[in-house]
Amino acid sequence: MELTKRLFINVIPGTTFLDRLTGRTKVRLFLAFILLLIATWDMRIILPIFVVSLVGLASIRPNWRLMAGLAGFIALTNLFNLLLIWLVEQGYGDTLVGGSHVLVHVGRHYVLTAETLWYFAVRFLKFMATFLVSITFIQSITPSEIAAGLYALHVPYKVATIVSIAFRYIPEITRDFSDIKISMQARGMELDSRKTNLFKRLKQNIVILVPLIIVSFDRIGNIANAMDLRGYGNGKTRTYYSEHEMTPRDHKMRVCYTLLYVALAAVLVGRIFFPGPYVVWAPWI
Amino acid sequence: MKKPIIEFKDFSFRYKTQKTPTLEGIDLTIYEGEKVLILGPSGCGKSTLMNCINGLIPFSYKGEITGSLKVAGMETRQASIFKLSGHVGTIQQDTDAQFVGLSVGEDIAFSLENRSMPRREMVPEVERTAKIVGMEDFLSQPPYQLSGGQKQKVALAGVLHDEEEILLFDEPLAALDPAMGMMAVDLIDRIHKERHKTVLIIEHRLEDVLYRPVDRIIFMDGGAIQFDATPDQLLATGLLKEHGIREPLYISALKNAGVTFDGTEHLADLEKLDVEKYKEALLAEFSAARSYQVPERGEPLLQVRHVDYSYGERKVLDDVSFDVHRGERIAIVGKNGAGKSTMAKLLCGIIRPQSGSVTLNGENYLSLSIRQIGRLVGYVMQNPNQMLVKDMIADEVRLALELNGFDKALADERVEQTLKMCGLWSKRNWPVSVLSYGQKKRVTIASILALKPDVIILDEPTAGQDYFHYTEIMRFLEALNRDYNVTILFITHDMHLAIEYTDRAIVFADSRCIADDFVFKVLSDKKVIDEANLKETSLVTLARRVGLDPEAFIRRFIEREREDRAHGID
Repeated sequence: MELTKRLFINVIPGTTFLDRLTGRTKVRLFLAFILLLIATWDMRIILPIFVVSLVGLASIRPNWRLMAGLAGFIALTNLFNLLLIWLVEQGYGDTLVGGSHVLVHVGRHYVLTAETLWYFAVRFLKFMATFLVSITFIQSITPSEIAAGLYALHVPYKVATIVSIAFRYIPEITRDFSDIKISMQARGMELDSRKTNLFKRLKQNIVILVPLIIVSFDRIGNIANAMDLRGYGNGKTRTYYSEHEMTPRDHKMRVCYTLLYVALAAVLVGRIFFPGPYVVWAPWI
Repeated sequence: MKKPIIEFKDFSFRYKTQKTPTLEGIDLTIYEGEKVLILGPSGCGKSTLMNCINGLIPFSYKGEITGSLKVAGMETRQASIFKLSGHVGTIQQDTDAQFVGLSVGEDIAFSLENRSMPRREMVPEVERTAKIVGMEDFLSQPPYQLSGGQKQKVALAGVLHDEEEILLFDEPLAALDPAMGMMAVDLIDRIHKERHKTVLIIEHRLEDVLYRPVDRIIFMDGGAIQFDATPDQLLATGLLKEHGIREPLYISALKNAGVTFDGTEHLADLEKLDVEKYKEALLAEFSAARSYQVPERGEPLLQVRHVDYSYGERKVLDDVSFDVHRGERIAIVGKNGAGKSTMAKLLCGIIRPQSGSVTLNGENYLSLSIRQIGRLVGYVMQNPNQMLVKDMIADEVRLALELNGFDKALADERVEQTLKMCGLWSKRNWPVSVLSYGQKKRVTIASILALKPDVIILDEPTAGQDYFHYTEIMRFLEALNRDYNVTILFITHDMHLAIEYTDRAIVFADSRCIADDFVFKVLSDKKVIDEANLKETSLVTLARRVGLDPEAFIRRFIEREREDRAHGID
């Protein structure tokens, strides 16, 4: 079925457990995971989150091919980053973990310590978990639910609307762009990468932007009128059609994210009031 | 006792950016439950009138108001657009821009969301109004899977939440194919009757709107009301032609036959019109037909053979074959989404057939690049704003020549030649941005003609334009065809255009080419009409009612119109 196929950004909610949560639960759950990941360098927290988010992603039955491609890209850039850190400052991990057990010597100048390796593992897993949490969130929420979820967090609804309107009109603007491109190609503009150099192609793409901007501004004026005419911006409050009532699922998840926020508070209190000498915990230190 | 619901009293409005008022001295009362058509050429002030009623004036478009306008008892100057939006529902012309939700359900719910209606009340309400317009099975569909007609239904459902007693339709037929247009007119009529709404329709496709009765026509020109009467009375006069509005075709046919009216006939409804009275006159006019000569055809220019094309799983062109000869004018007509635009893209080389062949001027088109094809086949898009990239007219026309590497001397010569051909030479140094929509269209045509293509394809050249501007563009194209032997393909669902300005029609339905014949033959073929979502013209109905052969009758009508045009009679 074409309709139920998961795209990168979905406009219509899917049918799995996570999909059927309300926008507010999804947003709160996401924020809890992300904030906790940002706040901590503790493997005892990061590893469980990594595992849970992997399970979460699996539960929404994503397009694995796309996911693997993205994950591969993120992993590679991360590993490259770690390699650079190690080359520039070998002792960086040691100062954060608080020890220096040499594992191997590489050449005459380079050493790899257990602490550096541990720090790199923590850092890598932290970034991968952040990626997994984000992608699961993006894949399981619709733009309208984001708007509703933000509104539930007391973000003004006019800000929240920008999110949903942007997603509404991205496909239209892409279509305008391709139409304009077509007409320019028919008039003799060469956009084939094999025949034109990069600089020329860039210049030509800018030419296409002129009508695109004019057409988009026309559209924005019309959209604003359409919204005014249906009473947008009048009331102080707003409700959301896409935001269905809380279900038992939502209540269960509320317990989860409440626990996560408690954990977050604990981590923050620990780091602010009882700062240890080292940022990264390691089992042998 | 009829209750007034919209009252203009000596009302004038001037936009802040303009020197002269756009509306002047309007006195108009519309009563509860009336269905009124507001008619007039572009720039006559009809859209401004509508924006005064729904509150966009003065809240979004600033300007100076004198006199009084009361809507549902409120003086609009003192009310707010939000208060007015509770009484007035507006269905705009641009079906895409007014679809602000990410799904059908959300869009219908939009005004309820803004009123902070709790969701448990909202959901049944959305279902209820979706049912009225027949969209209840589409509630979770995103907008890009809907047709223009469906989007319009959604917009209508969005303003049927019982509070709005006035419905304004701004050119509801502009984006619809003929059959969908009929459905829209029927739906508006049903809602007017069943829901007791006051309905105002702005449209210049008069004959299509009259498919269902309207109580009154308000005819505007030059910012003032010129005529305010029943459709029958208006049609009896010659006002429409004078002001550049197209009469229903059967009225034109009767007038061609020398029939005059006094305003008491049922002119607005062909079914009720007593045509027996005019039979003799029609027969006399009909017998003036000359024996039909099949127009001579030039050499074949384009040969399309067994072409297939699919987007993914969906087949959009299925075994399509036809020929185009030099100097022909062809209408490509058919349902929305039947493959017309895909065919145009394919002819321009932007997409290539997955099987089958296209021969262009004797050459196999598959071996040519887009750019090479572009010099033989020119493509003019529907919206000129999507094509114009330069500041000055002459530069715009020169662009394609530059891109194709013409040397300066030759490019200068071509630019001059083209601008003269298109009547733009005196404006060559004008900025493009000051031009009207119709003039911009002309510039885009000029920018394509500069390359001297053998064929030009125009996508909906007349969409959204009144009869005056429509006639202007079409005559210009007619002259190009006659004087320079330019071959023109029109992609259109305007049957009037096909009748008046083309010789042949290629009809698409459900990705196949189902007919390829003379226009008068296609338009009198019931089966083709039904299959391709076209509309039987009133000429056919009229011919049948007086016992004439519809095909020959349309042929005579076309002949007569072209004779008159050649003699400069309008």
